[in-house]
Amino acid sequence: MVKAVKGTILKCDPAVKQVILSMNNSEHKPFIIEDLDETHLFVDTTHVERIKRRVEQLLEENTYKVEQLPS
Amino acid sequence: MSQKFQSKKRKGDEEYKGLVKKISIKQSKNGSKNDSVASAVNNESNAGDDEAIIPKMAMLNADAIIYASQSANSYSANDAVSKLFGEQDFSSIALKPDHESRPLWINPINGIITLEAFSPIAEQAQDFLIAISEPISRPAHIHEYKLTPYSLYAAVSVGLETEDIIEVLNRLSKIHIPESIINLIRQCTISYGKVKLVLKHNRYFVESSYPDTLQKLLQDPIIAAARLVNTEEDEKAGIFKEKAPSMNGLVIVPPQKPPEKPIEGKPETNIEEASKDAKKDEVDLFHTVVDLEKEDEEDDDGDEVHAFEIKSDQFENVKKRCNELDYPMMEEYDFRNDNNLAPLDIDLKPITVIRPYQEKCLSKMFGNGRARSGIIVLPCGAGKTLVGITAACTIKKSTLVLCTSGVSVMQWKQQFLQWSNIRDSQIAVFTSEQKEKFSGQSGIVISTYSMVANTRNRSHEAQKMMDFIRGREWGFILLDEVHVVPANMFRRVVTTIAAHTKLGLTATLVREDDKISDLNFLIGPKLYEANWLDLASKGHIANVQCAEVWCPMTPEFYGEYLRVNSRKRMLLYVMNPKKFQACQYLIQFHEDRGDKIIVFSDNVFALQAYAIKLGVPYIYGKTQPQERIRILQNFQYNPKCNTIFLSKASDTSIDLPEATCLIQISSHYGSRRQEAQRLGRILRAKRRNDEGFNAFFYSLVSQDTQEMFYSTKRQQFLIDQGYAFKVITKLDGMENASNLVYQTKEEQVRLLNEVLEANENAADIDNDVEANVDDLPGTITSANFARTPGYTRSTASLKSLSGADGMSYLESDGQTVRRALGVGGGSLEHLRVNNKSKGKKRQAEEKVQHNPFFKKYRKK
Repeated sequence: MVKAVKGTILKCDPAVKQVILSMNNSEHKPFIIEDLDETHLFVDTTHVERIKRRVEQLLEENTYKVEQLPS
Repeated sequence: MSQKFQSKKRKGDEEYKGLVKKISIKQSKNGSKNDSVASAVNNESNAGDDEAIIPKMAMLNADAIIYASQSANSYSANDAVSKLFGEQDFSSIALKPDHESRPLWINPINGIITLEAFSPIAEQAQDFLIAISEPISRPAHIHEYKLTPYSLYAAVSVGLETEDIIEVLNRLSKIHIPESIINLIRQCTISYGKVKLVLKHNRYFVESSYPDTLQKLLQDPIIAAARLVNTEEDEKAGIFKEKAPSMNGLVIVPPQKPPEKPIEGKPETNIEEASKDAKKDEVDLFHTVVDLEKEDEEDDDGDEVHAFEIKSDQFENVKKRCNELDYPMMEEYDFRNDNNLAPLDIDLKPITVIRPYQEKCLSKMFGNGRARSGIIVLPCGAGKTLVGITAACTIKKSTLVLCTSGVSVMQWKQQFLQWSNIRDSQIAVFTSEQKEKFSGQSGIVISTYSMVANTRNRSHEAQKMMDFIRGREWGFILLDEVHVVPANMFRRVVTTIAAHTKLGLTATLVREDDKISDLNFLIGPKLYEANWLDLASKGHIANVQCAEVWCPMTPEFYGEYLRVNSRKRMLLYVMNPKKFQACQYLIQFHEDRGDKIIVFSDNVFALQAYAIKLGVPYIYGKTQPQERIRILQNFQYNPKCNTIFLSKASDTSIDLPEATCLIQISSHYGSRRQEAQRLGRILRAKRRNDEGFNAFFYSLVSQDTQEMFYSTKRQQFLIDQGYAFKVITKLDGMENASNLVYQTKEEQVRLLNEVLEANENAADIDNDVEANVDDLPGTITSANFARTPGYTRSTASLKSLSGADGMSYLESDGQTVRRALGVGGGSLEHLRVNNKSKGKKRQAEEKVQHNPFFKKYRKK
């Protein structure tokens, strides 16, 4: 029987793709439907928002903020 | 409102607007001093709502009339901006009528002083502010200083008086000085600097120009017990009077009086000279900034000081007690009247020229004809060594120089011989290799901190040398790179060696562990701090273009980066093939331009990998001294050797004036100090005075990794000194370069394999230089090149003990590599294919790596 899954194509740079791949591997139910090429992924649409948040969080970790001036 | 703002007549309106924004950033509660933020805000507000971001204070400065019309408004707090500033809304503070000619504001809440560096009298204001406050940020146009108790203590110790500070500050300020600030100044200066510990004729005296202060101290039992009651002195109080010391008769640098000052016989200081000149040409209201210092000295001349003597074996206790009583003592050494210590015949050679700012530091140090202990902060390459040597030449007593490494010991010796007329036999070197004593009564000993502070068992010879050092009194102790030394090691040095004056030299008075304030009390207050950009514009140090080059991680490396533990991560982002290529490209590019390039890597594994791959000589902690010297000489004189790789062992004290370009591939996490030290390697470039010459400083950073975080943090110090970092996301022409390494995926995967197989410890950046047990976290050990004799105990796996690190079983038919390329964009699935069930990556690696003997056997 044919089963349809709604998917979204994600375009990202190679590094971010690795982030998503590692995220996918750490879950018991993978959300990546197809690994298209270096910069494109086809993923389950329901997970898109979550992926966005995770990527944002990771990039945030690597940004330095000038600490508040001591007052 | 915004229309009025636009219409104000200011030169460089655009630029000024930027500044206003910057102030607004600083004023606002969630302020940040990052320039980029400022410009971001700038762009945003250009879109239309100017007034939404401009602080009242900046507006008021722009136009007093606006203020007049607005002042009614600002209290009602219903305007658009007031709420943004919270309690930092100072719009109610009135400006002085002539505020436009005054250069600074003071924030009543936190004591931060904002200075317009473009004001005509900014230079004088800076001199004054450096004396009384700590510079926080000094970019081109707006400077920021902060009043702190320490800085005020330092101000008092160089002879400024409370009322003078307040008066001058008031003259320079656009607003009347807030009560809170006046209180702060009074509180901090009332007790500081009133009491001096003077060593004279080899007796310790507690000296003060305020007799009641002394009486108060004498009431304290500890101090009273330490007092030496001398029957010949005034018995009633034990206090006797004498004339205050003066600078009369002391000339700091005798051999070369600048020709424009025809005062051979006149016993006047350079400050006084300078201020007299200033008096002549300036009718300005504010010129008194410089004058004030002079007045102080004149006042002192007439003053009487009061003193009592204390037992020399008790002076440590007295000093400690005084600190507890909140009367920190300043140490002064009356070296001209010290007949006990044998004089040292040392003078600067007549050809030696002292730069104006060096003279300024020294005049702070010898302000009243005595030597003060303290710290002098000068940028790397600005001639700290010469300042030290000149000070030694002025004191003319036995001198002990302590530096951080064996290499810099030799450099100090050579510099002493070069700049002064001291004889070779009078300089002794005390390192693990050489243990000499000087001949005669006095001389100079140069050693390292670790040699002197060592408490472990020493060799017989070293012990004898230490006894020699401990057994005598030193007129002067010079502490090179003071910020590097761990505080407790420092304390040991300072307490075991009897020295009359201590001078600390450093380029970067920042420490990651906030132990910098310890130095204030171990050595003395900061006497002088130079402005980097100022020196650069005057040609004393090179102009530097700073850039941060972003190198994308290759997918394979990034995939692994996300998987491995944090120690290995570092190795991965350093060994990123894209970074490798960027490094190679930059080397090629700059070699073609005729630059001499230094590449820095903290990580020895990466250092070796890069250098061997690119065929460039490298030096790290374990390089033998002979080889080290050979490599350095080649770099200096051989036109074919234009690039060298250095580990962090060479961060400080390697003097390579040929170098004009610096590339940094890995660094000590977020150490701001290291960044500044490294920049210092190219600041002294020989070619700096060539027309349009620029030195280059590149930081290679792997994108999307922790390195980005560290890199930005590291830059903060230099940004505060006014340097701007350009971000380069793509190196032009790199894609056309055909001879770059690691271009194919296959090579990259092989490199990744090597990295993953490397010993865990390879990621450890501290294995290069011998770690010191006393080291505080966040500091970098002094590079100790000496081999430790005896044994070291360490834990390691059986594999690495048998020398099998980095060996593993690999099939030689290339199947592995092909497989790696095939699976998931080459993410090395094969390495953990056989134990996915366990999930632990490390276990996976160990399982795959077979017994090394198996491999060896196969090879046969």
